[in-house]
Amino acid sequence: MTVTRALKSYTFLLFSFLYLPLSVMAVFSFNDAVRNVVWKGFTLRWYVELARDRAILDALWMSVKVGLASSLAACVLGFLSSYVLVCHQKVKGKGAYDTAFSVPLMIPEVVFGVALLTFFARIQLPLSFTSLVLAHVVFILPYVVGSVKARLQSLHSASLEEAAMDLGASEWQAFLRITLPLAWPAILSGGLLAFTISFEDFVISFFVSGPRSTTLPIKIYSMMKSGVTPEINALSTLFLLLTAVILYAQHRLGEDEAATRH
Amino acid sequence: MTRTVLETAPRSAAPPPARPARSPLDRGMSWLIRGQRQASSHLLLLPTSVWLFLFLLVPLALLLAVSFARRGPYGSIAWDLTLDNYSRAFSPEYLPILVRSLTFASLTTLACLLLGYPFAYYLALVVRSPKVRTAYLVALMLPFWTSSLVQIYCWMIILGREGLLNNALTSLGALTEPMALLNTPGSVLFGLTYFYLPFMVLPLYSSLSKLPRSYIEAAKDLGAGNIETFVKITFPLSLPGVVGGAILTFIPCVGDFLTAEFLGGPRTYLVGNLIQNQFTQAGDYPFGAALSAVLITLLVGGLAFWRWFEAKTVTRLGRARG
Repeated sequence: MTVTRALKSYTFLLFSFLYLPLSVMAVFSFNDAVRNVVWKGFTLRWYVELARDRAILDALWMSVKVGLASSLAACVLGFLSSYVLVCHQKVKGKGAYDTAFSVPLMIPEVVFGVALLTFFARIQLPLSFTSLVLAHVVFILPYVVGSVKARLQSLHSASLEEAAMDLGASEWQAFLRITLPLAWPAILSGGLLAFTISFEDFVISFFVSGPRSTTLPIKIYSMMKSGVTPEINALSTLFLLLTAVILYAQHRLGEDEAATRH
Repeated sequence: MTRTVLETAPRSAAPPPARPARSPLDRGMSWLIRGQRQASSHLLLLPTSVWLFLFLLVPLALLLAVSFARRGPYGSIAWDLTLDNYSRAFSPEYLPILVRSLTFASLTTLACLLLGYPFAYYLALVVRSPKVRTAYLVALMLPFWTSSLVQIYCWMIILGREGLLNNALTSLGALTEPMALLNTPGSVLFGLTYFYLPFMVLPLYSSLSKLPRSYIEAAKDLGAGNIETFVKITFPLSLPGVVGGAILTFIPCVGDFLTAEFLGGPRTYLVGNLIQNQFTQAGDYPFGAALSAVLITLLVGGLAFWRWFEAKTVTRLGRARG
């Protein structure tokens, strides 16, 4: 067997392994039985029960709210800082920012989560939507910065703003009419990525959420602790679908961006 | 018109010549964007710096400070400074947990490397079409983007005592009694490897894809076999990816507590679980803080050591290669 053929078979096996549990879970979300293990017939009742479960819908809404708010804030902050770090010359302390952006990636989530919990307890900030958003922005910011910085670097090296200014535009006009529209897909792409990470986060949310600000992953966690039911299968399958949709949207944005790259 | 002035004036770093009057908004924003003054840069960076300072730096510093405090009544924090938490962290009661976590993380990283390398190699150096490559990458990332909870749940329903695997094997007659597949170190390692595999594959792929295929072709032209080419050319040049992947896998893995909580048992209690417990049931924030500080010190220390080691050996390798 040639090396290529062996590697190809290996890849196929690896992917089967990767997707096996997810497929099983998805298939059994349609199983007409309370216990997961034997196939008893097709049903949609778990999805129906899901749609009627108030607690789950509240958790979903909280996750969406937190995700939107934190990715919006992260996009604004990420774009501002990326712009300065890429396009401004001689900023004192550039290195400090690069380090600060990589800190959330260099410490385990549990440590960051408990640090925030301690901090919020100390300043007596109640654990709620606010504490969730404040926390989420910190660890999703590096992803926005990564996406936007790369795009800004290619725009900057193409000297488009300078060209516009040579033709009589002010920096503000050049920014509004050239930079912003061209950087927009990267901001959106980074924002989608940030939303996904915020939406599926468990560890940090676990520590900084309050009793009335449960997010969807936390709800899944408590459901798992109380026992395995097909309702969790249905919920997880939908979660998987949502992630796939967002990933696809982000992928398409990446394609458009590549097409307009200079 | 200003055009003649532009054509004849020497190009310099000075601001462009006179332009039509701008609104105050335009002038203000332009000053910010131009970034000639440090003030404009730092003003734009201010929201981010404030946010990161308040919600990243301060909490971590506070955690460090709390690690020297004592647990007060009702789980509060009593500020009589002590090193007790640290001595407790290294005591025979708790040190094994730390060691176990490091062991599990190392084994997981190794498993991810062994399982992920062939795939990264295939994707970077064998697959020709960029479209197929992207498809594979997206397909790899999808399980990665689903919450780890969902993945753990899946393995619970497959590996449980009354789970899919046991049921299938029992009904086929291969087993008389269900196997205890869960709640073992093996199931935890399995779950960890499953989850962290993409963390390893991506940096590996990134590094391997930057490898010029001409190097491999040249080696083959000079008579090297497949294995020799790999050992002498491909693998050494992919080392940055290997190290990057190992770091990205090891660091989050060592603090993981979900996998051990659901797929493991008392024998697989990890430092992540221990820390989590201090901040939930046990209510001993100072001890949890000390454990976290020890963990971070180990990680940062390991990273720093690696940087030093890398500087020593990789540059030596680079020089030898010429």
